Amino acid sequence: MNELLLMCTIAGRRAAIPAVAVQSVIEVENITPIPGTPDFICGLTALRSQALTVIDSSLALGIDQPCVSRDQRAAVVEVEGHLYAIMVDEAHDVGEARSEPVAVPGGFGDGWQRAARGMVETDGGPALLVDIPQLVSGPIAAAA
Amino acid sequence: MDELLADFVAETREMLEQSGSELVAWEADPSDKARIDTIFRFVHTVKGNCGFFDFPRLEKLSHAAEDALAECRAGRREPDSALVTAVLAIIDRISEMTDAIEAGEDLGEGGDDALIAALNPDGEVEVQSDIEISDLETRSAEAAKADDGSDTQKAAPRQGVQRSIRLPVDLLDEVMKGVSDMVLARNDLARRLREAGEQPTIDGPFERLSAILADVRTSITRMRMQRLEHLFSSLPRLVRDLSNELGKQVMVDFEGSEVELDREMIEMVRDPLTHIIRNAIDHGVETPAQRLKNGKREIGMLKFAARQSGNQISLVITDDGGGINVEKVAAKALANGLYSRSELDAMSEGQKQNLIFEPGLSTAEEVSSVSGRGVGMDVVRSNIERVGGSIEVTSKPGEGTSFHLKLPLTLSIIAALTVGSGDQRYAIPRSYVEEIVFGNSSHVEFAQAGDRRLVTFRDKRVPCLSLGEVLGSETNDNCEWESKTLILVRLASDDVFALAVDRVFDHEDVVVKPIAPAIMETRLYAGTTLLDDGRPMMLIDLPSIAQMRGMAGGVRAKAAPVEREKEVEAKKAVPVMLFAGLDGRHRAVRLELVRRIDTISRDAIDIEGDRAQAIIDGEILTLAGHDTGELPEERCRLLRLSDGENELVYAVREVLDAADVTDDVVPSEADRNIEGVTLIGGKPIPLLDGHAVFSRYKAARKVDHTLTCRIPSDSEWARTILEPLVSAAGYRIASDEDEGEADLAIALAEDTDGAKGVARETIRLRPDPEESGDDTIYRYDRDGLLAALKRIRTGRAA
Repeated sequence: MNELLLMCTIAGRRAAIPAVAVQSVIEVENITPIPGTPDFICGLTALRSQALTVIDSSLALGIDQPCVSRDQRAAVVEVEGHLYAIMVDEAHDVGEARSEPVAVPGGFGDGWQRAARGMVETDGGPALLVDIPQLVSGPIAAAA
Repeated sequence: MDELLADFVAETREMLEQSGSELVAWEADPSDKARIDTIFRFVHTVKGNCGFFDFPRLEKLSHAAEDALAECRAGRREPDSALVTAVLAIIDRISEMTDAIEAGEDLGEGGDDALIAALNPDGEVEVQSDIEISDLETRSAEAAKADDGSDTQKAAPRQGVQRSIRLPVDLLDEVMKGVSDMVLARNDLARRLREAGEQPTIDGPFERLSAILADVRTSITRMRMQRLEHLFSSLPRLVRDLSNELGKQVMVDFEGSEVELDREMIEMVRDPLTHIIRNAIDHGVETPAQRLKNGKREIGMLKFAARQSGNQISLVITDDGGGINVEKVAAKALANGLYSRSELDAMSEGQKQNLIFEPGLSTAEEVSSVSGRGVGMDVVRSNIERVGGSIEVTSKPGEGTSFHLKLPLTLSIIAALTVGSGDQRYAIPRSYVEEIVFGNSSHVEFAQAGDRRLVTFRDKRVPCLSLGEVLGSETNDNCEWESKTLILVRLASDDVFALAVDRVFDHEDVVVKPIAPAIMETRLYAGTTLLDDGRPMMLIDLPSIAQMRGMAGGVRAKAAPVEREKEVEAKKAVPVMLFAGLDGRHRAVRLELVRRIDTISRDAIDIEGDRAQAIIDGEILTLAGHDTGELPEERCRLLRLSDGENELVYAVREVLDAADVTDDVVPSEADRNIEGVTLIGGKPIPLLDGHAVFSRYKAARKVDHTLTCRIPSDSEWARTILEPLVSAAGYRIASDEDEGEADLAIALAEDTDGAKGVARETIRLRPDPEESGDDTIYRYDRDGLLAALKRIRTGRAA
């Protein structure tokens, strides 16, 4: 209980990423685009001589608008041995969860429903708890 | 010690350790079947290995124990404590002998017969069992003592014995990953150091670090890797035995045996490969009579081609037999109830062929001793998939079958070609690259068939892909083919196509890292790697692109065996560079000798009597070939030739082309400067004799950069006597105008103000022969001076 969460803004909504999974928060500088990949993969960036796959969290949810991020903040997570940088609109503080993730009747909306583990109460109000593996697999995997 | 023998010792010892606890448990309960099985397996394995290595005594012992245990397993004999003791004594003896083998000693004195006799369950022995047992007890006590002895010996390894240990592969993986990361971190650091400018205090240690790292990387790689040769070397025998047994004639051909694969992976593919070979010979290749009837050579061909691409090894096994009978496979699948008729009808030819990997399918009409038991290809596939690989089959009826195996490398360093497309750099595995040509070259012609671009090169028409178009950054319509560089790609399946890229940058060894599944899904990339400046770069997955674009035609019609033979011959051809000498005559030089082509101005060439030298980038190189004709007025083309250690330059009027010498070289006695004359394109061309050139011109030993030396400019002795000596020792004399730090300064001891300018090392010369004890050298001590110069030169250049 009282899971630590990285509070952030994704597509203008309050969202939370489990802080345990986040290795660090970085400012993505240079992105090497990878032609031929789905939109939500922005490309690769290097962090301490390791290549990170940069994910646009907004596009990955299936929202048409790409991430609007002033300082290109991204949370570094590892999924199945691969490192990802999840780009978010804004990354705030780390806060404590005040409740278990719960489902809300009526759902959270298309993209969110799939990539959110539920709603958690935090000090700053409710936030959607992001399911990282779902997020990095992008909207296409959801259709399949 | 022989590697195999070391393996045997290591394996035996490992089994001994494992069976130790089993032995104890067995002793407590002699009737425990599971324990007997374990110990039986141990002695059985030892027996097998001993026979292989010709250790008759070990074999005899283990054979006796095996027999006794087999009796127990078969229920013909009740294991009792006497048997346990006897078997234990034998196992102890095996342990002793193993130690002796490892140390290369004799196997100790006899006494084996007594041990073997102790196994005997006969009544007679039982009558004497008391004696036997007491005897045995002392014996086993002795054996135990001997065992103690060998234990202490284990603790202090005997001299000259190469010990080997077994490590979990995970650990090796971890170390390997660490080292790879270190290489990347070093590259990063190297870039930063370059940007910061030259810093002698840091550069030296950094170079050392780099060298050490390179060594470590090589050894770590070697720890895990093994050339495919190890796997291939056992196959000809297998093929021979099988084809004899089945009354067929099969030849084997290997390609890419230098490809390296994880040791573990090699072991994992050995069985599947054996199975595929069995199938190919049993079902694929027809009998000689049948082959002749079908208009084929009576000897079948089994070809193995291995390539490394990204973090995958692709291994293609091709036979030129009858191909898969798709109808029969489908009928069988239907009969076995694997698929319904409608499902089968919906399948493509390729899918039907791949049905052979379904469990419970065998098309052989009779079950032969070799294959056809219906367990096989499904096991092969599951084994390959278990190690993360994949297997596919393509087949053409009457022409042959190819199995395409893709095996992953957990982590690999591969040779890659870096190319540019769009604004990006990409890496292409070099093993696929056959040739690089410029689109605007006169040898290249573009043609179009439908929407497909074709390029004609060397009289071959190959399909052409643009990397930009494949990656979706540009369309074929606005592609300027002539401005592109074409990379001729040869796939493991022998299909050739041209890949157009904007430019080719460099050859590089890259550490390939796996990429995220979402990127993998594009099937365009095989991995990622980091450039020196820390930017990521994608590794192009050529086989996959070729497949998506239909460039890989699967089994190629073997209707062109003649062409193939020609190719083999062409590979033996000697590549040469054609040039026109200063006299205008065409000559050729072996391409391997040519390091690069320099163009310098006439002023940089200095000829005086027999001495001819050219200055390139501040380096003096011996000039050759200038005596054949007049040097051109302004700019002069030079071939820089290298024998690996020495370099010299050869003046030419014009560099013409690269060609392959396929005809014999006819030696010429009259002209010592040429190896002989050969025919290139129907014209006689003299081939330059590298040996003669290098021996005649005594090329200056190549030093990475010429070391500079400062000498006192105001001393006449220094200028007239010392300077020539120092120059001859390979130093450049720094003038007073030279600002930078010289590598060496020579000062005269009487000059109290010391040498002008800075230098890394200083030699002081004293005017008197008497030893003055202050590290100076007597000015006419020629040997001492030369030795000092040499020491500094080699130390600096190293």
